[in-house]
Amino acid sequence: MDFNVIGKSVIRVDGLAKVTGKAIYPQDIYMDNMLFGKTLRSSVPHAYFTLDTSKAEKIEGVVKIFTAKDVPGHNSHGVLFKDHEVLCEKKVRRIGDPIAFVVAVSEKIAAEAIEAIEVKYEEIPAVFDPVEAMKDEIKVHDGKSNIIYHYKLRKGNIEEGFAQSDVIVENVYNTSMVEHAFLQPEAGVSYVEDDGTIVVCAATQYPHFDQLEIAEAMGVPAEKVKVINPAVGGAFGGREDITLQIHLAMAAVYTGRPVKAVYSREESFYAHSKRHPEIIKIKTGANKEGKLLALEAEIIADTGAYASWAINVTRKSGIHVTGPYVIPNVKVDAYAVYTNNPFCGAMRGFGATQVPIATEQQMDILAEKLNISPVEIRLKNAFTKGSQTANGQTLTDSVPLVDCITKAAKAIGMF
Amino acid sequence: MKTISLKVNGKPYTVEVEEDMRLLDLLRDKLGFTGVKEGCAEGECGACSVIMDGNLVTSCLVMAFQADGKEIITIEGLQSEDGTLHPIQQAFLDEGAVQCGFCTPAMVLAAKALLDKNPNPTDEQIKEGISGNLCRCTGYAKIVSAVKKAAEYLNQGGK
Amino acid sequence: MKKRGKGIACIFYGTGYGNGFPDVSRAYAELQPDGKVAIYTGATEVGQGAKTALSQIPAEVLGLSVDDIIFINEDTSITPDAGTAAATRQTYNTGNAIKMAAEELRNELIKIAVKELELNSDIGLKMKDGKIFLEIYPDKCITFSQIAAMQEEPLRKFAVFTAQTVQIDPETGQGAPYWPYTFSACAVEVEVDTETGKVEVIRGAHAQDVGRAVNPTLIEGQMDGGFAMAMGYVIYEDLGLENGKIWNNKLSSYIIPTSMDMPEIQNIIVEDPENTAPYGAKGIGEPVMISVGPAILNAIYDAVGVRMTEIPVTPAKLLKAIREKEQKEA
Repeated sequence: MDFNVIGKSVIRVDGLAKVTGKAIYPQDIYMDNMLFGKTLRSSVPHAYFTLDTSKAEKIEGVVKIFTAKDVPGHNSHGVLFKDHEVLCEKKVRRIGDPIAFVVAVSEKIAAEAIEAIEVKYEEIPAVFDPVEAMKDEIKVHDGKSNIIYHYKLRKGNIEEGFAQSDVIVENVYNTSMVEHAFLQPEAGVSYVEDDGTIVVCAATQYPHFDQLEIAEAMGVPAEKVKVINPAVGGAFGGREDITLQIHLAMAAVYTGRPVKAVYSREESFYAHSKRHPEIIKIKTGANKEGKLLALEAEIIADTGAYASWAINVTRKSGIHVTGPYVIPNVKVDAYAVYTNNPFCGAMRGFGATQVPIATEQQMDILAEKLNISPVEIRLKNAFTKGSQTANGQTLTDSVPLVDCITKAAKAIGMF
Repeated sequence: MKTISLKVNGKPYTVEVEEDMRLLDLLRDKLGFTGVKEGCAEGECGACSVIMDGNLVTSCLVMAFQADGKEIITIEGLQSEDGTLHPIQQAFLDEGAVQCGFCTPAMVLAAKALLDKNPNPTDEQIKEGISGNLCRCTGYAKIVSAVKKAAEYLNQGGK
Repeated sequence: MKKRGKGIACIFYGTGYGNGFPDVSRAYAELQPDGKVAIYTGATEVGQGAKTALSQIPAEVLGLSVDDIIFINEDTSITPDAGTAAATRQTYNTGNAIKMAAEELRNELIKIAVKELELNSDIGLKMKDGKIFLEIYPDKCITFSQIAAMQEEPLRKFAVFTAQTVQIDPETGQGAPYWPYTFSACAVEVEVDTETGKVEVIRGAHAQDVGRAVNPTLIEGQMDGGFAMAMGYVIYEDLGLENGKIWNNKLSSYIIPTSMDMPEIQNIIVEDPENTAPYGAKGIGEPVMISVGPAILNAIYDAVGVRMTEIPVTPAKLLKAIREKEQKEA
């Protein structure tokens, strides 16, 4: 097939604005009469709290200090469960939970007011280890089990699979919580148009979903909210959950003036999700020819204080823990668990990035025991056109895995 | 408050600055050069880099009053008035060195500071020259080839 | 002592929301008075190149250059919902929606051309550079802008694409949770300093299935970036998490790769068009980082004979593992 444009390395259409410094990121928006907002965040991981804002309110230049009672609609948001509070009402579940939003005439005064707010914490026991959390002795969300999802896969007969295996390898792998570290920290501006439409300019991965979340929290119909998504300085999954969008909308509606907020790098680390750390217990069996016969895995994903995408991430881990291999007998249990850690959500690879840290090392260990090469064991088991995944899905088309393996291996002199 | 005079992109400015104002804030908030980006406020990411008297500096670590009498170049000063891109900007486009773009203005300036001093850098020297500027998108490979390409363009007398 | 080793890993990656959830993208294609075509869709440009790749698709359909596509995606009040810029779904999902909208516009333009040029049928009509003409007799020609001038309301076509997946059974996991899947493999060589525990990635070869490459430079850029992010994941990045507190919440303590850390990487684009994808193109934003990490871990084992089951493999952790192994052997 001959193409005119497809397959051509066309110069990126947003490139010119970016190399000239003209691309507008949300922090680059300056409006007349603009106010500045800053978030007060919890400094303890699990506590009831009370706020005294009286001193802060008296600082000259402070326009308004928003707390939970000021949220006009639902004081909640979240991509799957609405388990985040826009501003926490009486309990914080992690370090970094937003508890007040100060609006002032300058960033400096807003920062001063944040310092002047008195927070009294009544700390309660916290849980940071997901295995501990699974016992439900300390609950992160009242009346709700910490185990929020259990993915189950049962294919073939796992006992028979291991019984027939000539080599079996069993290990526990631990992956870490990490940060997106996109270069542009969160920033945004909100204002109200003459017809009452609330406009929020912020860098987001999904403007139409933000629109719904802002509308619900503001108690207005979605068509009264407009999200403007200017240049976005990287995302990698870290801009899927709401951060400052609703705070800004509230402030703009209340004050009738444009309100801007820009997070510091330190605040950015706490404000958005992280990659789920996972404990991956995995047992893999193969026959002497190097054919995989059985795989059993238990995955525990720590989602921290909020679910964000935990269910989908954990499911994705469970589905991808087999690796791209045909395995007749598979048993997988994957759990998503609340703790009082920073909350975890989407990050590049979304659960499929964590599990190969285990699966792919298992393959090499098996190969060594079988005295075959890492490339050979992969080629023997790799998905090809027509293969069936452990979920029972047939791969009907476009499965060039063997090609990928041989090309990469050849290039580095492993094949 | 202190009154300072400086040149930005060849144009003279006399401005009143607060004692604790950073050069970054002066350039962005007061003078409107928003191509200068803030990424970390501790001189680590390099997104706020500008060229001051020929040297690349992180403008978050320079106080505004320290720029008194200095000549500053920001990304806004590179494109010609007729719209022609600076050869380094052109090379960044041609080589696909731009993704999210937040590090790009400072990365282009880091390349300029390097190429002004060393018109024929090796790959290692290019990597060193941009090592103070973090990028999370590109893995730096295409930035390195863009700087190489820019050196070619400049040595041919611009593109 | 410095010891070198090689390692390989391969992966599959399921695109989209998956698991039967309606994964929908929407787009408008609208003829402009000057003959250009505007695409309205809610797909975000996060730096991955969505605006460019998703402009190339309608340009191909309509015989235009990318300069003649006006891509509008920044404002929810004028764009239709195209789902999230995540799950590696925009090229496949929104790419399909845009292609369908552009094809509808193309069909409409052809219909108008047949009528205006007083032809018997659309056989032999070509569309190129904003013109529709009969190849066997090019005087029979009408431009996009001429057609635009005849319209009272702008010609505007809408399309919706919904991906196909099947929800899994909650007890057995049986179903079809993702479609399409994308594949990749990475092989690397590392050098481990057995005195310091420091790992240096010397070179890498990274083969990525793309279905069909829409824009090779953009793909390579994603592959380079994914490689770097994976290096950070397995050997550098540590939040210093302790009782819910992130100690390393600055870029001076949370170490991501710099230009000095990056090895020479050979990017290998593997094409095998997917028949449900726009021109066969699958998304690659996420899969490009996945196989790199385990390849590095396997190479570390090949170099020094220790299995690192916990990431990140910081110099301190690796040094400890090397010493333990030496003691065991001694």
